[in-house]
Formats: sequence, structure tokens, C-alpha cells
Amino acid sequence: MNCRKAEKLLLKSFDGRLDGRDRDLLASHQGTCPACRKAEKEYRTMLGLLKHGREAAPLPRFWERLEPRLREETELMPLLFWERWSLRAIPVFLTLVILLGGFLFFAPQARELGQSATLLLENRDPLSETQALFDTDKADTRTMMLLFASLDEKAPARRPVP
Amino acid sequence: MEEKQLVRLAQEGSPAAFEELVAKYQPKVFSMALSFTRNREAADDLAQEIFLKAYLALPRFHGKSEFGTWLYRISINHIRDFLRKKGRAKEISLDDVPEISFSDREQAEKAEQERETEARRTLVQTFVRSLPEKYRVIVTLRDIQGLAYEEISRILKLSPGTVDSRLHRARRMLRVKLAPYLTGEGGANELSQG
Repeated sequence: MNCRKAEKLLLKSFDGRLDGRDRDLLASHQGTCPACRKAEKEYRTMLGLLKHGREAAPLPRFWERLEPRLREETELMPLLFWERWSLRAIPVFLTLVILLGGFLFFAPQARELGQSATLLLENRDPLSETQALFDTDKADTRTMMLLFASLDEKAPARRPVP
Repeated sequence: MEEKQLVRLAQEGSPAAFEELVAKYQPKVFSMALSFTRNREAADDLAQEIFLKAYLALPRFHGKSEFGTWLYRISINHIRDFLRKKGRAKEISLDDVPEISFSDREQAEKAEQERETEARRTLVQTFVRSLPEKYRVIVTLRDIQGLAYEEISRILKLSPGTVDSRLHRARRMLRVKLAPYLTGEGGANELSQG
């Protein structure tokens, strides 16, 4: 066994992960290799010094200092939640506004109302004026009135405003 | 009370249950932070922030792993962030290491030996901090914190084989750096005593 393999076994042995056969191999190598014995001593010292680090005692009153911070954070949580979501809501709101604006802008404009629709909306009977013409006794007068009425229909701008 | 029960109560908002969990894990979290920072005040601040983070994240803990493993994972990530922000990842050269003299150690008083041992501890910690992060974390969890391979594997989400090879490499790197300082007494055979 060479020193490199011995070192690997040595490090495993510190973690108690060496089986009986490997342990014997390592022991026999170390018996004949001063460099590996030195390495073992150095590793033991090093790991011993490292192990000392876990004995550190924490500062006093840890919980007493932690508890107010926990309470404060818990109280702030709804605000933080709202802050987080309000930040996300802004782009969503802007997108909706843009979409709505686009829809209104590009939607077909409402057509002007036709004459019949206007009359209906004004609650006027479209036949009442015509009926008055037909009710006229004189045939000539009736014909003339119908003629003027038809001219008025073709040129609504000339029609006198009531 | 069992840990699972404590975790459940803490999730339901019981401060007393969380206090018990803090009492149980506080020394480990603190010493882990200390081994990375070497500053008690900074380690204490980190430990407080870690527990705060854990408390706020408790509703998202579903018990898929042990609470301790989950907490260690939070701790490691938080400490990593802290170190990145502080820019502590720089390599430490031998020039930065305090000089230790062993010339008259046979005649030195007990107090002097203790001082030397303390200086060696500081030296080891200094070199641990000089390791690349992936090795430093493994050495800290295994050789300082004393966690089992399987637990380290779960915390770091690495295969046991990777943990093994990284630890092996980290220890070798450390020994190479420390070899000139390890031949003296004071601290030797501490492993066999511990």
C-alpha cells in the first residue's frame, strides 16, 4: 500500500468508517512509514483544534432579544404581503387600462341614427304627417304637398326647423 | 415534547414551542456562524437572523426532512449570503497568519502553552476560512459541528460520495497549509481526548 492510499484510510479511520481489514493494512503501513505516522499526528492535532470550535457558548439572553423581532416581523407581515402584491398589481392594472383604452379606440363607432330610428326615439309617429296630407280634401293641393314633402326628404337641410 | 409536535405547534403560532426549538438549536447555529465569521457579535446577529428567517418560513416547512436539517440548510444559505456580501471569500496568504514561536516551549509556563494552543486554534480557523467555499462548508459541518455524513449530504443536497471526496480534499489542503504549525505541543491529541 502506498502513502496516498494510507492517507485516505487514515482520514476514514478518524470518522470511524474503516473495516477490520483496512485497519490492519493501515496499521502495518504506518509501522514502516514515518511520514504517515507524522501525518497521523498532524491530522489528529488539526482535527482536535477544529473540534474545539463547536464548544462556543452563545451570547446571553438570545431568546429575549429574538422574541421582539419575531413579533415585529409577524405584525409587519400583512403590510409586507400588501406591499409585495400591490407592486405586482400595478403592471396588471396598467395592462387592463391599455387593453380597455385600445378596445374603446378601435371599436366601431356607433352609426348615426336613421330617420325612422330618430322618430321612434322621439316618440313621434312617422305616419302622422303623411296622414295629414292624405286627409286633405283637394286632390291638387294633396299632390303638391306630397311633391314638396318628397323634395324635403331629399334635402333635409332646407327643411325649416320647427 | 417531541420535535415534530413542537414544530407543528410553532407552525400554528405558539411562541413557546418555537422558543423550545430555538433553545435546542441555538448553540449549534451560533457555533456554525461563529466558525465562519470568527466574531461573536457577528455570529450572534447571524444566528438571530437565521431563526427569524426560519420562523417566517415555518409555514412552508412540510416535514419532508428533519427540522434540524432544514434549519441547517437555512443557516448555510444565510451565512453564504452574508459572506458574499462581506466579500470574505478572499484567499488568506501565509503572510496574514500570526507568527507563532515554539522556541522555548519546554520552559514555557502553563499559561503560555494555553496561549499557544489558542493561537493554533485561531490559526486553524483562519486557514479554514481561506479554503474555497465548498470545502469550507464541508469542514465546518463535519469537523467543527460534528454532523454525520448522511446529514451533511441531506443539508447540502450532495451525494455521500461527493461529501466524502470533498472532505478528504479539504482536510488534505488544510494539513498542507498547517503542517509547519502542527508539530508543536498544545492541542495535540485533543481528538483522542474528545
